[in-house]
Amino acid sequence: MQLDFVARELTIKLVYYGPALSGKTTNLQALHKAADPESSGRLMTLETRDDRTLFFDLLPLTFKGTGGLSVRLKVFTVPGQVIHASTRKLVVQGADGVAFIADSRTSETTNNATAFLDLKQNVKESGLKLKQLPLVIQFNKRDMPDIRSEEELAELAAQGREPVYLAVATRGEGVVETFMGLLYLTWTALDAANDLNKKFDFDEAALLREVAGKLGYQGSLEQLLGSSVGGVLGQRWLARKAGG
Amino acid sequence: MSDVTQRLEELTLGTRLRLEELIPRESLVDLTASYHELFGVPLKVFDGSGKLLAEAGPAPSLYVWLASLRGARAALEYVVDHVKQLDPGAGDVSYPCVTGASYRVSAIQYEGRRLGRVIFGPYLGAVPAEVPPELLLAEPDLDPARALALLAEMPRAREETITQVVAHLRRGLEIILFSGHKALLTSNMHLASVKESFKELQAKNQSLQEAFDRLKELDRLKSNFLATVSHELRTPLTSIIGYSEMLHEGLAGELTGEQRDFVGTIKEKGEQLLELIKGLLDLSKLESGTMSLRKSELSIAETLNEVGSTLAPAARKKNVALSVQVSAGLPRLWGDAERLRQVFLNLTENALKFTPVGGSVTLSATATELAATATEDEEDDDGAVFFAAKRPALQVRVTDTGIGIPEAERSKVFDAFYQVDGSSTREAGGTGLGLSIVKRLVDGHDGTISIESNEPQGTVFVITLPLQRAGQR
Ligand SMILES: Nc1nc2c(ncn2[C@@H]2O[C@H](COP(=O)(O)OP(=O)(O)OP(=O)(O)O)[C@@H](O)[C@H]2O)c(=O)[nH]1
Ligand SMILES: Nc1ncnc2c1ncn2[C@@H]1O[C@H](COP(=O)(O)OP(=O)(O)OP(=O)(O)O)[C@@H](O)[C@H]1O
Ligand SMILES: [Mg+2]
Ligand SMILES: [Mg+2]
Repeated sequence: MQLDFVARELTIKLVYYGPALSGKTTNLQALHKAADPESSGRLMTLETRDDRTLFFDLLPLTFKGTGGLSVRLKVFTVPGQVIHASTRKLVVQGADGVAFIADSRTSETTNNATAFLDLKQNVKESGLKLKQLPLVIQFNKRDMPDIRSEEELAELAAQGREPVYLAVATRGEGVVETFMGLLYLTWTALDAANDLNKKFDFDEAALLREVAGKLGYQGSLEQLLGSSVGGVLGQRWLARKAGG
Repeated sequence: MSDVTQRLEELTLGTRLRLEELIPRESLVDLTASYHELFGVPLKVFDGSGKLLAEAGPAPSLYVWLASLRGARAALEYVVDHVKQLDPGAGDVSYPCVTGASYRVSAIQYEGRRLGRVIFGPYLGAVPAEVPPELLLAEPDLDPARALALLAEMPRAREETITQVVAHLRRGLEIILFSGHKALLTSNMHLASVKESFKELQAKNQSLQEAFDRLKELDRLKSNFLATVSHELRTPLTSIIGYSEMLHEGLAGELTGEQRDFVGTIKEKGEQLLELIKGLLDLSKLESGTMSLRKSELSIAETLNEVGSTLAPAARKKNVALSVQVSAGLPRLWGDAERLRQVFLNLTENALKFTPVGGSVTLSATATELAATATEDEEDDDGAVFFAAKRPALQVRVTDTGIGIPEAERSKVFDAFYQVDGSSTREAGGTGLGLSIVKRLVDGHDGTISIESNEPQGTVFVITLPLQRAGQR
């Protein structure tokens, strides 16, 4: 996170992590497509070979915010291929929140786990603990055959702390939901650490509504945040609203 | 955080981007020139701090003339000052001049941040019928005819046109800035990932070096341990052999036949054990580099003959012919006579051991040369002129007609305790220390040792020893 007090701008770094070919770039493309051109910059794709990410993709999003504090979101993807380990490490450095894009196919179970351990290791090496990092998980490619069942994922999701989303990134399904879940978690974590809402008289609900709107989401915030498997975030959101 | 990663973070988060970094200055100059060429209106580009980066189009002659008139110049300076301070927000604004012309100021925006400004003008919408009153106010003595003539020569553009041109330029610049940003990010990313990989490699090298040092230390400890233990074993063993010898010779009273046999076996096994321990001791001394060679001038013929006569009884017993052939007039060698005898004793023992009844073993010595460079590759004579000439040397060949050593085993037999597997070898006994000691002793004389086949049957060990004398090296 970077806070520019003069320009009253907050810059947040979000990173899409995951195994090779799980659909990270596709998620970013879908976000870019969904976003209102006024809030979204160009999608920058840095060096690709055969459509595989070599360095990273970067989507800049800008929102007005409230209380005179504007919010810039820089959304990155890492290259998933195993050999780009050092690039992943560079990109994930300084991330405020991470979306882990997993491949739903049963055949990819080990690759998902390996990539997750790689994330854990890289976060650790940058001096953080994964536990302290806002994290959401997306099981992408729900349209493919031989995928892990929804019941199984729901059961596993209930055991972990991270909200789990289901998606078909190529059709844009679940993409905005995943992103909003990540933004919500990241914002609450940054707020807890920096007291942003109070300091800037910031209305986080208004920001979330603005972002959802600019991403073309029609439903309510409760609905949106409740759309993870098991709906954990929706409940947390209601509790947070009641409490604060 | 290193400079490289810090810079990368600034670049990716888009904080502190500078116009000049994203567009090379020459490109900006070309761009402004082409806009001026197309629309005929002068324009200037400034960076975020107000520094002029590029301009195109000369000052209109009206302005050059007015600048020479005191009142008009003051009025123009006032306008220019204002134009420079104008805040176009994220879009563009225009500003009127006393001449009736306009300036248009536009922000150069990238990712919602202002990186600089473009100023178009002055340009005139339409030629006025008379001199504008503001101009006359600033310069009451103005020559109206000249002013009108020069006004007619002013660059002309309608406000709507300028609005379109500005929008067009902004869009173009946005694309150029995006590509510039991308190129900058790419090169920085390259740099950072090379640095990152280098860091990782360095860490790996470091841990390898540490592991290597630890192993070397362990190896040294092992050699020390071996030396100490074998030395300590030798003393009591010498007593055991001595006492069993005395018993055997009846010095402590007559023994029965069976008792004598038993004591004889104890003595024999004790001597075998002593040989083994001596070998270990030699090896550990050689490994730790603490074995000092006592070199002097010696005759290879003498050494080989001694070996021949020492082993003649064993050869006779096994019914293997043993001969020594030394060419006449061989030069004398500089070396440790005792250790060299050990070398050829070991090799000849092996030859006898692995040669069946009826075979033959030959020791021969001839003069030869040894390449001065350490290379054993005879093909490698590239740049031979740079290296010292070949050194004179002696070659000794220990040839047998025994079981031979397969090609693949030839480099391994010099390892300690290595023995070629096969029932015939195992029957032969031994511990596999002999050749490892031989190899190290030959090394200690700067010589080489290699194995060849003896056609049609058997082995040849070829030892080459340089003739170097004291003072030559
Ligand atoms: N069927 C299906 N295919 C998908 C889905 N999401 C992505 N894909 C395809 O999976 C392939 C890889 O997608 P990318 O987005 O490039 O994967 P990535 O995670 O960025 O891969 P790397 O850059 O190599 O790490 C592409 O062919 C996508 O079209 C999905 O939900 N369903
Ligand atoms: N002349 C030879 N012909 C055939 N094989 C040989 C010959 N010399 C050595 N070897 C092979 O090389 C091995 C190693 O020889 P080395 O002299 O080191 O050990 P050794 O003779 O078995 O035991 P030690 O010499 O310690 O009593 C031998 O065991 C044998 O297999
Ligand atoms: Mg990708
Ligand atoms: Mg031997």
